Amino acid sequence: MKITGKAWVAKDYVMSYDMVIQKFWTSPIDKTENAKWIMAGVSEDFNKENGFIDKGYTFIVAGHNFAGGGKSIEHCITGLMGAGIKAVFATSFARLQFRNAINYGLPFVTAQEMNLDCETGDILEYDDETGTVLNLTNGKNFNCVPVAPFVAEVARSGGLMNFIKQKIADGSIANLN
Amino acid sequence: MTITEKIMAFNSGRDFVKPGELVWVNVHSVMTMDYLGKQCFRGFESLSPEKRLFDKSKVICVSDHLVPPPTTEWATLLNEWREIVKRYDIPYFYDLGRQGIAHQIMVEQGHVLPGKVSIGTDSHANTYGAVGAVGNAIGVTDAAIAMATGKCWFRVPESVKLIINGSWQPYVMAKDLSLHIMGMMHWNGHLIYKTLEYTGPAIESLSIAGRMTLCNMTVDLGAKNGIVAPDQKTAEYLAPIQKGDWHMIGSDADAHYDAVYEVDVTNVGPTVSKPDKLDDVAPIEQVKGIKFNKAFVGTCTNGRTEDFAIMAEILKDKTIHRDVNMICIPASQDVYLECIEKGYFTTLIKAGASIETPSCGPCAGIHSGVAGDGDIILSAGNRNMKGRMGSRNAQIYLTSPAVVAASSIFGVITDPREVYFN
Repeated sequence: MKITGKAWVAKDYVMSYDMVIQKFWTSPIDKTENAKWIMAGVSEDFNKENGFIDKGYTFIVAGHNFAGGGKSIEHCITGLMGAGIKAVFATSFARLQFRNAINYGLPFVTAQEMNLDCETGDILEYDDETGTVLNLTNGKNFNCVPVAPFVAEVARSGGLMNFIKQKIADGSIANLN
Repeated sequence: MTITEKIMAFNSGRDFVKPGELVWVNVHSVMTMDYLGKQCFRGFESLSPEKRLFDKSKVICVSDHLVPPPTTEWATLLNEWREIVKRYDIPYFYDLGRQGIAHQIMVEQGHVLPGKVSIGTDSHANTYGAVGAVGNAIGVTDAAIAMATGKCWFRVPESVKLIINGSWQPYVMAKDLSLHIMGMMHWNGHLIYKTLEYTGPAIESLSIAGRMTLCNMTVDLGAKNGIVAPDQKTAEYLAPIQKGDWHMIGSDADAHYDAVYEVDVTNVGPTVSKPDKLDDVAPIEQVKGIKFNKAFVGTCTNGRTEDFAIMAEILKDKTIHRDVNMICIPASQDVYLECIEKGYFTTLIKAGASIETPSCGPCAGIHSGVAGDGDIILSAGNRNMKGRMGSRNAQIYLTSPAVVAASSIFGVITDPREVYFN
């Protein structure tokens, strides 16, 4: 499927601590609620209610260590999803949030230094089957690492919780190895 | 196979795995804590309407981030957490009074065993590798699924071997090696998703506490897990505490590694990570003389008895500088008691340190001494990004407990070897 939308281009080291600031760590995990203050610590521009949502971004293009710093909280992922983000491209991701993104079915796509060839506001077209991205604003093409079969299956199920619920319902959970 | 590959294989009913393979492993224990625990149970209940945990003695519940609660909001959150843990009659609930930082509790109370997989909803679950387990940090979703099914998915990681040779200099600790490696590797993504296996004579001579420090910080190198194969020292440590049986396990002689690095620890001195970026690391000679006003030793990285022992040795009959406020937080009640019994806390209090009850405390900027504007903190914790301990207008230097202790006498960063030799 092809998705088209506007990108926010971030630097290296967008930290999970800044994506979800401390006072929201204890909030319930909820896409709508978590989205209201997502990215509040990243820039003053986003540091207000709906600050990030109101920009209307569909994609994030980042450098190294996106969502780094080591917090395991899933609010980072649900917040992005609630804010309308459909995929994040980065040179590298911190593994905890990479894992959480897989579990929620939000594509975290490894793309070497794509952030150097995109600018905030560029319109991108992402094909989630082939892993290719076309920057419609400047005409550049990017071949990203395609999504692994398990990751695609979890995404199709609507996340790992639903994936497991289906396995419980059809009795195949015992065979999971 | 490497030790991590073997653990992934044997706990998923396989004889063999290779890196990149996806496996569902049977977990030996699942840990969750106060501020995320309720959501784990909620998720679990949505998977198991009959509310049957896979094994309630393997769901380990710990109060560590929010205790003792500084606000009414958190006190209420803790009450909700206690209610749900009691409802499930969880036998291993380490609540205020019996508490500790979750990763310390998991290891010191024998919930982690060599050759098994243990997971926890906090990033420093990598600590469990110190006793030869695969310890991994996971989110609420993974915890909920493991609580219901006893299973967790993993992509078998590539292995990287770190051979640590030589012998430890006086007052050089596992933390110094950890920060040295941080500086050597830089966070440029080449260790992410991989397992780091520590081996060599300087690891064999290292205590379990030191191995915990090393494995703990592998998450901050970007790695999936860190591990030290079990040995006689592991067996002796675990014998009185282990909950379950285990067997010796190690990497095969012909195991494949993506990369092998060698470090001669003889050449590693006290090491400091400079504010804001963990891999901006300097040998102590380059940062000596920098003034600071707050000192902190505690956390799942450096809040153990041997950490306070070395501090007490350095600070015996000394006085902490009048411009330095020092906070020490033992990583668990067991550590606290041992430090009292051995007189370490008496020495530290006489020197002018403040001792707080076990918790994660100010390490994550939560309570018990958070950072304010303008603070310059010398910390034996694990992270120093802006705002980590509170104010974004504070600077955090990370180092070993020995450096914190020696430096606190003078109010400037000081090489503990100079204090020792003078």
